[in-house]
Amino acid sequence: MSAPIIWILLPFVSGALILLLLGEKYAAYIGGGIAAFLAMIALFVPIDTALLIGSVSIKIAPAIQVFGRSFELVTADGPLLAVLYGLAALWLFGTEASGTAHRFVSLGLMIVALLTASIAVEPFLYAALLLEIAAMLVVPLLVPLYQKPGKGVVRFIIYQTFAMPFILFSGWMLAGVEASPGNLSTTIQSGVMLSMGFAFLFGVFPLYNWIPQLMEEASPYAAGFLLWALPTFTVIFSLGFLDRYTWLRNTSQIANAIFYSGVIMTATSGIFGALQRHLGRILGYAAIAETGLLLTAIALKTPDMVSIVFLTLIPRGLELSVWALALSIIKRRAYPLRFSDIQGMARKYPIAVGAIFFAHLSIAGFPLLAGFPSRLALWQELSLQSLSASLWVFIGLLGLLISALRTLAAFVMAKEDTKWEMNESPIQTVMLGIGMAGLLVLGMFPQSLQPIISNLPALFQHLNQ
Amino acid sequence: MLILVTCLLLFITALVLMVLRITQPNARYAWMIATVGALLAFASVFLWLTQMPFEFSFPAWEPQTLFTTPVLFRADGVSWALAISVTALPLAILLTSVTRPVFTNSLSWAGILTLCGMGILAVTADNPLTLLLMWAFLDLTELFSQLSSVNGEQKSERVVISFATHMLGLSLLLWAYIASFSNGSALVFQSMPSSAGIFLVIAAGLRLGVLPLHLPYSSDTFLRRGLGTALRLIGAISTLGILGRIQITTSGFTLALTALTAAAAIYGGWMWLRAPDELNGRPYWIIGIASLAVLSTLSGNPIGAIAWGSAMILVGSVLFLSSVQNLRLNRFLPIGAWSLSSLPFSLTASAWMGRLGLIVPFALAAQALMTAGFIRHALRTNGDESLDDQPGWTKAVYPSGIILLLVLPLLMGFIGWDGALQIGNWIQALIASLLTLGLVWGARRFRIFSPIRAHWVTTAGAGVNSLYQWLWSIYRGLARISQAITDTLEGEGGIMWTLLFLVLFILLIIRGTQ
Repeated sequence: MSAPIIWILLPFVSGALILLLLGEKYAAYIGGGIAAFLAMIALFVPIDTALLIGSVSIKIAPAIQVFGRSFELVTADGPLLAVLYGLAALWLFGTEASGTAHRFVSLGLMIVALLTASIAVEPFLYAALLLEIAAMLVVPLLVPLYQKPGKGVVRFIIYQTFAMPFILFSGWMLAGVEASPGNLSTTIQSGVMLSMGFAFLFGVFPLYNWIPQLMEEASPYAAGFLLWALPTFTVIFSLGFLDRYTWLRNTSQIANAIFYSGVIMTATSGIFGALQRHLGRILGYAAIAETGLLLTAIALKTPDMVSIVFLTLIPRGLELSVWALALSIIKRRAYPLRFSDIQGMARKYPIAVGAIFFAHLSIAGFPLLAGFPSRLALWQELSLQSLSASLWVFIGLLGLLISALRTLAAFVMAKEDTKWEMNESPIQTVMLGIGMAGLLVLGMFPQSLQPIISNLPALFQHLNQ
Repeated sequence: MLILVTCLLLFITALVLMVLRITQPNARYAWMIATVGALLAFASVFLWLTQMPFEFSFPAWEPQTLFTTPVLFRADGVSWALAISVTALPLAILLTSVTRPVFTNSLSWAGILTLCGMGILAVTADNPLTLLLMWAFLDLTELFSQLSSVNGEQKSERVVISFATHMLGLSLLLWAYIASFSNGSALVFQSMPSSAGIFLVIAAGLRLGVLPLHLPYSSDTFLRRGLGTALRLIGAISTLGILGRIQITTSGFTLALTALTAAAAIYGGWMWLRAPDELNGRPYWIIGIASLAVLSTLSGNPIGAIAWGSAMILVGSVLFLSSVQNLRLNRFLPIGAWSLSSLPFSLTASAWMGRLGLIVPFALAAQALMTAGFIRHALRTNGDESLDDQPGWTKAVYPSGIILLLVLPLLMGFIGWDGALQIGNWIQALIASLLTLGLVWGARRFRIFSPIRAHWVTTAGAGVNSLYQWLWSIYRGLARISQAITDTLEGEGGIMWTLLFLVLFILLIIRGTQ
C-alpha cells in the first residue's frame, strides 16, 4: 500500500461511495470516521518505514506514478496529514449537527483528497490544477440542487480560475529563472505572475469581496468549510514554493508584497468586519483576517516562521468549524442572520451563541482562547520587524473584537422577562461543547500542539534557516 | 508553590460545593465546608510571609523559542497585601451570609470562591502575559454572571458595554506588551520600558471607570451583597494590582492624566458621600478609591496604589456586607475610617509618599469625601432587620465576619508588606482627617450633603456622555464609507474594480523592483 492511495484515493473513493450508497443518517459518522482514521494512521504509522507487528512487516510506500506524474508523501508529511485529516474529521462529524450531512460529507472528503493531492503532486505546479478541480467541486456544496448560483459563488469560481493560469505561467517561467538567475526581466515577470496567482488564491485585498457575498447567500457550514480548506492548502502550497525557490525568499519586493498584503488584509477586513450587521458576512471578514495573519506570518524573517504559521493554521480549523456550526444552527431560526433577526436569541440558543462568541473572540486574539498564542508569537516577531505593521494588525483584530461585541449585544438584547431555554439538540450541544472546550484548552495550553508542530518545520527545510 | 496552595484551597472548595449541589442539593453543611475552605485559604496567605519573596510558574508554553515569557506569579511585599485582602473577602462574605435569607445558595459561594482564587492569581501576576490571561478570565466570568442575572434589553446592552470597556483596557495592556517587545524587553513588569507604563495606567483607569470617567454598571443590578460585592471588588482589585508594579516617567501627558484622575476622585467622593445607601453608592466607592490609587501611581508611589486597593476591598466590604443592625457592632464600624486616613501606621500611611504637586488639595479633598462618606454610611441606620432577631449561632458568626474586615486593615498597618509600619506624609494625613471631621459635621447640618440620586455621569450604556456620542458618530460615518466601498466592490462593476487594482498592484511591484 502506498501513501497516496491511503490519503488521496481512499478518501476520494469513499466520498463518491457515500454519495451513491449512503443515506443522510450515517454519512456524517462514516465520513468523519474515515477522516479520523486517516488522521490516526498519519499520526502513528510512519511513511516509508517498515513497521513490524508480530511476524507481519508493514511499510507504506511513499509514492505512486499516475500518467507519468508522481504523487509523493514522505515521512515528514505524516504530522501534516494528521492535522489536515483530523480537522477534516471535525468538519465532517459536525455535518450531522448542522443538518447538511449527505452531500457535504461526500464532497468534503473528495475535496480534502484533491487538496491533499495538490500537496503530493510532482511536478508540483500541477497543484494549481488540482486546486482548481477542488474549487469546482465546492460549487455543488455551496449551491443547493435546482437553484441558481448567487453572485458570491460565481465570483469565487472566477477568481479561483484566474489564479490557475497565473501560477501555471509562472511555473513555466520559473524554469527559465532557474536556468539563468541573472536575467532580471524574467525574474520580475515570473515573480509578478506568481504574486497574481496567489493573490487570487488567497483573496488579498480587494480580491476577497466574494467571501462576504458568499457567506451571505450560502449555507454557513459549507461556506465555512471552504474558507477553512482552500486557504489552508494554499498556505502549504505557497510554503512549498518559498522553500523550493531561494530567490523568491530573497527577493525583497516579493517578501514585501506578501507582508503588506497580509497586513492590509488583516487591517481592512477587521475594520470592515466591525461595521457589518450580518453574522455571515462577519464570519467571512474574520476568515479573511486570519488569512491575512497567515500571509503576514509567511513573510516574517525568522527561523520560527513555519511554527508560527502552523500555530495559526491549526486553531483556525477549530475556530471556523465551531463558528460555522453554531451559525448554521442559529440560521434555521433567524434567516437571513441580520442583527435585527437574531435579537435576543441568546436566551433561546445559549450554547450556539456562546460558541459563536468564543470562536469570534478566539479569531480576534482574545487571551485564554485558541487564537491568542499564535497572535502573541506573531506580534513578538512582527514588532521586531515593524511596529507600525504590528499596529495595523492590532487595529484589524480590534475591529474583529468590536464586531464580536456588537454581535453579542444583538444576541443578548432580549425583551423583558424572556425565559432562558435550550433549543439545541443533544448532538449539537455536545459538538459545540467539545469545540468550545478545545478552544479553551488550545488557548491555555498551546504546548498541547507541540508534538505535532515540532515535526512540521521538517517539511520546509530551507525556510527554517 | 504556596500561591497554588491558596488557590487550590479555594478552587477545590468551590468544586466540592458544586458536587454537593448536584448530589445533595439540600445539604446544610455546605456552608460549613465553604467557610472552612475560605478560612484555610485565608490562613495559608499568612504562611507566604515565611518564604517571601517567591515565584510560581505554570508549565511553559511551547515552542519556547516563540513563547519566552512564562505564565509567572510572584508573592512579595506588594502582592501579599492584595492577596490577604482578596482571601479575607470570601471568608467575610460567608460569615456574614448566615443572616441573609438566600444563604443556602451554594452555587453562589462556589462562584465567589472561584472568583477569589482567580483574583489571587491576578494580583500575583508578575508579567503582562499572566495578567492578560487573568483579566480575560475575570472579565468573562463577570460577563456571564451579569448576563445571566439581568433582565431586559437595556440592562443586557449595558453589561456588554461594560465588558467592552474592560476589553479596551485589556487591549491597551496587550499593546503595551507588544510595544515593549520591539525593545526586546517585557518579560516582567519591572523590565517594561517606562513609556509602556502610561498605557498600563490608562488600561487600569479604563477598567476601573476612572479614565475616562464612567460607571461600568448601574447600582440597580440584581447582584447585591454577596456575589455582587465579590464581582465588583475582585474585578477592581485585579486591576489595581498592576498599579503597584509600574513606575511612571513624568511628562505633559502624565499631568493631564493626573488632572483627569483627580476630577474622577472628587466626583466619586462627592457621589459616595451623597449616595442614599452603601449599595447604591458602591460604584462611586470603587471609582473614588480607584482614582486615589491611580493618583498614587501617577505621583511615582506605586505602593500607595496597593494601600488604596486593600482599603477598597477590606474597608468597603465592612459596609457592603453589613446586612443586619446591631448597635454594639455598629459602634465599631467607623474604625474603618482609620484605615482610610493615611495617618501614621494606618493601612494607607504610604498613600501620599509620591510627588502630587498642585494636585495635593484635590487629592486630599477626595480622600476626605471618601472617608466622610464611609463614616456617614457606617453611622446610618437603615431599615434592615436586627441581628437580635437571628438564631443564636448567627449572633456569634455574623459579627466575626465584620470584625475580621475591621481588624485586618489595622493589622496590615504593621505587618506583612512594603507599606506596613510607615509614618508617611502625616501633615497631609492630618489635613485630610480634619477635613473629614468637618464634612461629617457638615453632612448632618447642610442640605447640600443630603442624599440625592440625580447625577451627571450615568452608566456607560446610557449614551449621555458626549465622548461616547462622538465615538458613535465616528462609527456611523465609517459604516457609511465602508458600505460605499463594499457596494462598489460587490456590485456589477466589482470585478472591473478589482482588476484595476490588480494592474496597480503589478505596477507597484515592477516600480519597486526598478
